[in-house]
Amino acid sequence: MSTGLDNRAAGTRAVAWIRRVQIASVVTWSLLAAVVIVNALVQPTFFTLYSITSTFATFVPLVFAAVAQAIVVIGGGLDLSIGTIVALSSVVALKVMNGSDALIGLGFLAALATGALCGLVNGILVAVVRLQPLIVTFATASVFGGVTLVVLPSPGGAVPPAMSQGFRLAFAGVPVPVWCVLAAAAIWLALSRTRFLRHVYAVGGDALAAFASLVPVVRIRALSYVVAGALAGLAAMGVLGNTGSGDPFIGADIALDSIAAVVLGGIALRGGRGGAIGAIAGAIILALVTNVLFFLNVPTTFRELASGLVIIAALALSVLTTRKAVVR
Amino acid sequence: MSLLTMTGVSKRYGGVRALDGASFELEAGEVHGLLGPNGSGKSTLNKVLAGTVNPDAATIVLDGRPVEIRGPRDAAARGIAAVYQQLSLVDSMTVGQNLVLGVEPSRAGFVSNRASAAEIDAVLERMRRGLGPGVTAGTEVSGLSPGQQQLVEIAKAVLRKPRILILDEATASLHRDQVNLVFEIVRELTAAGTCVVFTSHRLEEVRTICDRATILRTGRTVATVTVAETTESELVRVMVGDVAQPERRTATPSTDEVVLRVRNLSAPGVHGIDLDVHRGEILGLGGLQGQGQSELLLALFGATATPSGEIDVNGRRVTNSSVVRATGNGFALVPGDRGSQGLFMQRSIQENLSIVSLRRRLLAALGISMRKERTVAEDAVQRLRIKIGGLDDPVTTLSGGNAQKIVIAKWLLNEPAVVLLDDPTKGVDISAKAEIYSIIRELSSAGVAVILNSSDDVELAELCDRVVVLYEGRVRTHLVGDEITSENLVSAALLIGEGDQGTVEEQPAAADGGAR
Repeated sequence: MSTGLDNRAAGTRAVAWIRRVQIASVVTWSLLAAVVIVNALVQPTFFTLYSITSTFATFVPLVFAAVAQAIVVIGGGLDLSIGTIVALSSVVALKVMNGSDALIGLGFLAALATGALCGLVNGILVAVVRLQPLIVTFATASVFGGVTLVVLPSPGGAVPPAMSQGFRLAFAGVPVPVWCVLAAAAIWLALSRTRFLRHVYAVGGDALAAFASLVPVVRIRALSYVVAGALAGLAAMGVLGNTGSGDPFIGADIALDSIAAVVLGGIALRGGRGGAIGAIAGAIILALVTNVLFFLNVPTTFRELASGLVIIAALALSVLTTRKAVVR
Repeated sequence: MSLLTMTGVSKRYGGVRALDGASFELEAGEVHGLLGPNGSGKSTLNKVLAGTVNPDAATIVLDGRPVEIRGPRDAAARGIAAVYQQLSLVDSMTVGQNLVLGVEPSRAGFVSNRASAAEIDAVLERMRRGLGPGVTAGTEVSGLSPGQQQLVEIAKAVLRKPRILILDEATASLHRDQVNLVFEIVRELTAAGTCVVFTSHRLEEVRTICDRATILRTGRTVATVTVAETTESELVRVMVGDVAQPERRTATPSTDEVVLRVRNLSAPGVHGIDLDVHRGEILGLGGLQGQGQSELLLALFGATATPSGEIDVNGRRVTNSSVVRATGNGFALVPGDRGSQGLFMQRSIQENLSIVSLRRRLLAALGISMRKERTVAEDAVQRLRIKIGGLDDPVTTLSGGNAQKIVIAKWLLNEPAVVLLDDPTKGVDISAKAEIYSIIRELSSAGVAVILNSSDDVELAELCDRVVVLYEGRVRTHLVGDEITSENLVSAALLIGEGDQGTVEEQPAAADGGAR
């Protein structure tokens, strides 16, 4: 009898697990598979090492930005300034490294610090001053963008050669950009085991209940923006590695793309649910859609329109299916 | 020496004194009940102890040493944990994550699930009888029934190993078996020296589990009794005190003409309600707060999902499937929470008055005549003697009483047949209260059927022709005419001497019987 009970318990546990983890991700992973297949069909060279390296090289910044956005959104917030944080961190790192291979490590630290500092500004305004995240980060996006222009008024400057060349290499048979995406996933998996992220889920799920359970709600909210900022700093290093030079306007699309990636990845915009692995998949889907449209020879004038429509369709699919799962 | 004493606890909310020098004393290892009628301050006192309400004044002595409790964190640090009817679980997280939320064992910032797993499993196993076989640490809380969630909430408090555990209506959503399980756990805790503060609307539970009880009335402590040595009628007498019975409204103009006839109405929070409200009658909804009174009004007004049952207005069957349809059928609801449900606080008084009844005065089904709007609004303001600066001032410029009158006025412009009032005088001062009373009386003399939910027993006694007392979403007692006294209302609310009252001269109850 007890084994029967155990089985039933194990069964319901499995069902609960599937419900919790899978339903959102099934849609995400099917979309990813679909877009990879389509991409392989329209671009016969897709699976060559060269192509994988260059395709992955373009995603890396968005992947890190998506993980950053995921943390903020799970905590019940939103960060529209991720894009300009990436831009500011990249130009600061560029200036710090000054084209010298010896200063790459320092460049990483500068990008992380710049990102975290920007995140701290957002975090204080949202969590301590209690302004609306949408408005705050819309405004700080302009501020960070303005500072970026002061640091580097026009595109230019050179990334240390070791960095831009290293980004195209393969390590243990796997291209470095792929390692970067794996690193983003590893960072998330490590974070998701921390007390901090557990509390981020609690605050995003129900801030009042979290407060009543002695979760330091203000500190957790603020910290979620700081961590997101630091991750945006890593995204900035990806941008530099990929482009090889500095561009103060680079972040324009990243903020909104990262939000789309998060939703595609099955993270509820009202907070508390989902995980950044889905967001990483979402980021890859977005990047591959652009890639597909390019290889389909969609005229440049229509590419923006077409990619917008594809994203809306994908978002609708993933949101509608998850909604049914949540409401039951 | 007692474990904890609280003296001189006072708390005001605006013009209302929730606590007025209340005091309280706890011994280690006892279960201590808090009793009192609506508005006596039980919940506020609990919340002061748990740190979620900051008192205006209070002296708290724990272990013979004076302490200050400034927030939930302070309370937790001193070993005080609280469980309320309103839950503090995060829906989107699992049972296990919720149980240790805020106190996760961790090493270098990383949560150590293994360290807490044994404890979590043990407490879930202890609760197994109430939770059912399917609930494990990995189950998401949103998938649990309200009763299961309540048990998880209690488990969460127990897991924190408190010295003082507050259970404030924590058994309200539990079945009898689950309550018995909680009582077993409470006895285990008290045997180990924990003190439990227990509040419940079910007097039977208080009598079963409590050693002593402190009785509150209008924010003051009136007595501390040993439960086993006190009879129920003694308890009621202490709770009610010597209140001067208010002057009742004169000669009920109630007729035989039934305006609102409700049969077998069920909705979330209410079950199988039968009501008859006559032309010009004021029907009161009594009982302890949260026994389904507001839910009944919302269901009648079409504001809750899928109510079932029959509603007739003036002999015509109506389906109030939405608020708009209910309004069209001649219903009006004056909600208890003016700020969020009754008014557009930032907009002008004029707009607030017009909004509900606009379509009655549309020109060619489209246009609004501003002149007509103003005349109608000015009439309403005069009729209800609302003190305003000008019609264009925002509602935020008004006092609570006058704002409430605006809510009533906007519905009157729609000429309703049935007016539902949900605790309309909560938080308004005495003079505005008197004016709202006279408006309610005017309504009834104009032939409107009025249903009044009030948490104030004196108000029910003063205004109502008839009162139905609700308990856990069902009508338990009818009180008619002179039977409506504070004492009877409190007894009925606590189910004391059930069946002794409400059987006399009860025309509507006879009608109920005929319908079944």
